[in-house]
Amino acid sequence: MDRIEVSNLNRQFLFRLQDVGKPKAEVAAMRVMERVSGVNIVPHFCRIEDKNIEFYGDFNIIALGLDSIEARSYINSVACSFLEYDSDDKPCEETIKPMVDGGTEGFKGHARVILPGITPCFECTIWLFPPQVKFPLCTLAETPRTAAHCIEYAHLIKWNEVHGGKSFDADDPEHMQWVYSEALKRAELFGISGVTYSLTQGVVKNIIPAIASTNAIISAACALEALKIATGFSKSLSNYLTYNGAEGLHTKVTEFWKDNDCLVCGPGVLIEVDSTTSLQKFIDLLREHPTLPISKPSMVHRGKNLYMQAPPILEEMTRSNLQLPLFDLMGRIPKDVIHVTGTVTLNDRKTSALRKLRIVFKGNVDGVADMDMAGGA
Amino acid sequence: MGKEELTAQETALYDRQIRIWGVDAQRRLSKSHILVAGMTGTIVEFCKNIVLAGIGSVVLLDDRLVTREALSVNFLVPNDEEKLKGRSLAEVCCNSLKDFNSMVHVSVEKGDLSALDGEILDKFDAVVIGRASFATKKTIDGICRKRSKKIAFFTVDCRDSCGEIFVDLQNYVYNQKKNDDNVECQFHYPSLEEAVAVPWNRLPKNVTKLYFAMRVIERFEAAEGRIPGETTAADISSVQQLRGELCKANSINESRIPDELLKRLLEGTREHPPVCAIVGGILGQEVIKALSGKGNPLKNFFFFDAKDGKGIIEDISSL
Repeated sequence: MDRIEVSNLNRQFLFRLQDVGKPKAEVAAMRVMERVSGVNIVPHFCRIEDKNIEFYGDFNIIALGLDSIEARSYINSVACSFLEYDSDDKPCEETIKPMVDGGTEGFKGHARVILPGITPCFECTIWLFPPQVKFPLCTLAETPRTAAHCIEYAHLIKWNEVHGGKSFDADDPEHMQWVYSEALKRAELFGISGVTYSLTQGVVKNIIPAIASTNAIISAACALEALKIATGFSKSLSNYLTYNGAEGLHTKVTEFWKDNDCLVCGPGVLIEVDSTTSLQKFIDLLREHPTLPISKPSMVHRGKNLYMQAPPILEEMTRSNLQLPLFDLMGRIPKDVIHVTGTVTLNDRKTSALRKLRIVFKGNVDGVADMDMAGGA
Repeated sequence: MGKEELTAQETALYDRQIRIWGVDAQRRLSKSHILVAGMTGTIVEFCKNIVLAGIGSVVLLDDRLVTREALSVNFLVPNDEEKLKGRSLAEVCCNSLKDFNSMVHVSVEKGDLSALDGEILDKFDAVVIGRASFATKKTIDGICRKRSKKIAFFTVDCRDSCGEIFVDLQNYVYNQKKNDDNVECQFHYPSLEEAVAVPWNRLPKNVTKLYFAMRVIERFEAAEGRIPGETTAADISSVQQLRGELCKANSINESRIPDELLKRLLEGTREHPPVCAIVGGILGQEVIKALSGKGNPLKNFFFFDAKDGKGIIEDISSL
């Protein structure tokens, strides 16, 4: 859902100066279709969460050029939600939704192939990411050592002190200039060098440096893998390629293994539910669950909406289900899989996620009343 | 070109890359001039990368007329019959390339690569050759090495879903960061002629098969007087015979160069676009490193095989 900016033009070569401000998806689609006859590209100018699951289910391959862990995590959970396992806990081939993912930063990049149920999914290897940089508040407030500390002090602490309720706008040059001069003052106070306007922008906007050649290498590796999956002309990359051109040239292909306990691509988190438990009670259980937990959930069972948080009209339509037993809502079968979208905490940040839950009912499931359950509920 | 400070326009456009290699390197790039010969799919990917990066100027050399085949591997060739009539590959690519960065000077040089002399080559800081005969490559590299001005020399060739890059930076001095200190390092590069003359039995046993296979095909094309890249599956028996002779002369086992690989390279004369992009990306980065003086350069061969996605660096020198 991005628009083209001038700083994109040093590498995003489908765009020209006169395209600045236009939606990336639309211009990219147009340029490629101009050059390659017979190809059909439909642009969608929106957020990835704005599309429903069925939209993604329509595609044979999903290729990713996303710019955050959260975005990748979300699409990964969507692709893995299609995965079904048979009674031997083996993935059903026709439910595997392949993904090709790439990312770059400066001279480094990666390309990977994800076949849910076979190769590790994004969540299986989330431990690969180092902890995200977050400066402790006391460092910013009392003992800065680096130029970045001074900048974040001005951005996160001083701004609110001076500007009260006014929210900071990273795209407003006056705001950026203010942060820069405050950061300079603080740096001078502590004898720290290195605060520049460029660094200020970089720290505040979390700018990722990028060049054309690294992007060419990684995007081509991804295209190659997508072509292999589509045509079967060659063995797929197995399964993670890293490229580092910073010191000399280094490339490596590593075969990572799937995590059998993965919350996302595994057979699903097993939850035992009493047959009398209402949907509302179930939602409360999810929030407190030890391994999930997930809040503000919307739930779907075999394409049927159990409860939707949004949009308002769907919420209204499904609100009455909250009082009904989950067992009844799921057609009174002893066990099945449901899909839940909601909010989880990832890297100390709240983000959207989709989780697969294997629900197993206990209590009055076979039409034979439990001895303890006189009168039912 | 020739100016000292980067303009505001350059700073805005190059922001994301200046954050990586700094203003000095960017300035040096903007003062560099490159000659590119042979507009293959890989070469145009390379050109795109250095033009986007803000090189000073690029001169394209390729008098061949545009063909239908070019359309399937060369993304600088527009999908428009009218624009292609009677124009050379270099002219067509020049027009498209200008679109990518108005601050880079892109032009065409007509004529044969093998006819270029030292005086003409002196205008350039680097020469990059796509597919050409071994004799031509050798000659041009030889001229570059004799000039008093330092001219970096690169060749690149992609066949089937494999690619090869060769680098000759002569005597190259650069600064390497070692634990907070800046250490001066020096690389001595062999010429192309010297490199391929290194006896095969003196190379490490794990040198990639691709190196040897490319040398056999190279020799075959030279012996038969073929235009580079004009081979077919039918050539396999002659190539096998040549392989036998070369392996005997170099005292290595023929099994080091499998039939299957030779067949792939003989048949697959058309380039594979994703491989062009990968190899063109690596080449782009190597040329940028050599011209900006920043970063450890590749020495001296790079190979890529799409079958396994692996990139291999081989140091083929007698030192």
